[in-house]
Amino acid sequence: MPRAMSLSQFHENPDVIAAWLRLFGPAIRWSTPRRRRTLLAAGAVILLVLKPMALMGDIRGEAAPTALACSLVILGLLAFSYVSYLAAVNFARLPEAVRKRPQIALHAVYWAVLAAIWLVAPPHTLLRSILVGLAFTMPFLVWRCGYLLLSGQRGRAKDTTFADQLMVLFPVWGGSNTPYGKGLDYLARFEAKSDEELARSHLAALKLFVLAGLWYLGVEIMNGVVYGDPQHKLTLALGGLGLGIPRLAMLTKGGSAPLAMAWASLYAELVNQVLRHAAEGHVIIGILRLFGFNVFRNTYKPLLSESVVQFWNRYYFYFKELMSELFFLPTFARRFKTWNRLRLFAAVFAAAFVGNVYYHLLLREDLLVAGDAAGLWTAFGARTFYCFLLALGIFVSMVREQRRAAAAVEVGLARRWLRIAGVWTFFALICIWNVRGGGDFSSRTQFFASLIGLG
Amino acid sequence: MPDQRAIVIDDLKAFLRTVQKPNRPIDSIAETDGLVASGLIDSLAIVQIVAHLEGKYGIDFAAGGVDPERFASMGSIADLVMEKRA
Repeated sequence: MPRAMSLSQFHENPDVIAAWLRLFGPAIRWSTPRRRRTLLAAGAVILLVLKPMALMGDIRGEAAPTALACSLVILGLLAFSYVSYLAAVNFARLPEAVRKRPQIALHAVYWAVLAAIWLVAPPHTLLRSILVGLAFTMPFLVWRCGYLLLSGQRGRAKDTTFADQLMVLFPVWGGSNTPYGKGLDYLARFEAKSDEELARSHLAALKLFVLAGLWYLGVEIMNGVVYGDPQHKLTLALGGLGLGIPRLAMLTKGGSAPLAMAWASLYAELVNQVLRHAAEGHVIIGILRLFGFNVFRNTYKPLLSESVVQFWNRYYFYFKELMSELFFLPTFARRFKTWNRLRLFAAVFAAAFVGNVYYHLLLREDLLVAGDAAGLWTAFGARTFYCFLLALGIFVSMVREQRRAAAAVEVGLARRWLRIAGVWTFFALICIWNVRGGGDFSSRTQFFASLIGLG
Repeated sequence: MPDQRAIVIDDLKAFLRTVQKPNRPIDSIAETDGLVASGLIDSLAIVQIVAHLEGKYGIDFAAGGVDPERFASMGSIADLVMEKRA
């Protein structure tokens, strides 16, 4: 390995690694893989209680669960986790229908809970309270159990312990419903086995924390300088001299702005979202790396992507992986095998459209519990259209990438920047139907029309 | 008789030349190097390798599914091919 490295690659520099080992040698030697896993498992047990309590705090339109109901929900989640673990470990002995479609079987449990709420659970009863509690908490677990079953399907869960799986099911490192770091077998591949590997992982974590700090700073600068939020310290310090670009959500809800400002708002929203998302992901992956799991970062320079599919791969890596493993690859392996283009189209739409919409559907537990189809349509009309455009863009991009690879032609800098600008514009535009709090489908579409001179 | 695994690796190299990124020549990648990690291919290019293995070796992924880890390197793909053909 070359001794001279760029500053940004400090975590790979042998001199820096040696210095880190000298500085934190005793702590690094103490934290063996077994001890690190034990710490994470102990944290998972605490999280097994805290996380459901936090999620049940979001229950709306139903009676708040009692202490007894909360306790039973937590026990229910533990049972669900353990049964998933047993299913993964004994995968070969499961009924054929479950072995063939383990993910569907897993999600069927969640939908059975919802069906029980809709059909048989009378209001203001302990049973209903427990079922509603489960409906609000299971979506956090169901994707993680999905990876667990996938691991079982691939024969990699047999030698794992429940304690090790628990640390992944209730991750101390955080994350959304998307499992950052995927499942245990993926994490194990990146686990530091020696002191030097752990030191490298620590330094890689440090790098992510520094980057996260910079991106959070970037977000704050945008809030003050670009958006000129009236109460922001930077806006006040500048005496209101910010650019005053309106928030995209304000425009898509029906607000007005000059055309140039509207376009600027579009690109600013994209940059803002990427910065925030990258910063949050860096903190989560940074914590994982501190514990010796030197996995890929969640966001890797998406704004330098030269194609739509590259952006999707780099923006939210662990969400893309989830959609890819549970929707894209199974569809590709099973459907339309003799029609190449249709096969790719079906696989892309299974992941970026069907999977994407379904994933976000499970984030609206309140509407699911209420069985509010009209509310779901209102909440998801714009999102569904966004997913459709995203899937279409990815499909076209993949076909173009395949052609480019076949042509094997190197392109100049100007062409590359042009491609990057195209990717920015695509994602900035589809963001109109995805920006949070941005109004209904109609108002968003009207804003889009106004951007291209039709409004 | 030539080593079957070596033949598979040669075939894979020839195929990967058609899907590699222009600035990452396949000849600079070792058998055990990660194809995605080395920047040779995009993770979604796995589907092209899957289609190639189906066409060339008649491997059916419908039952067992596609495990991305088996596509991590040329060596692991060759092992997969040898396993499925055995």
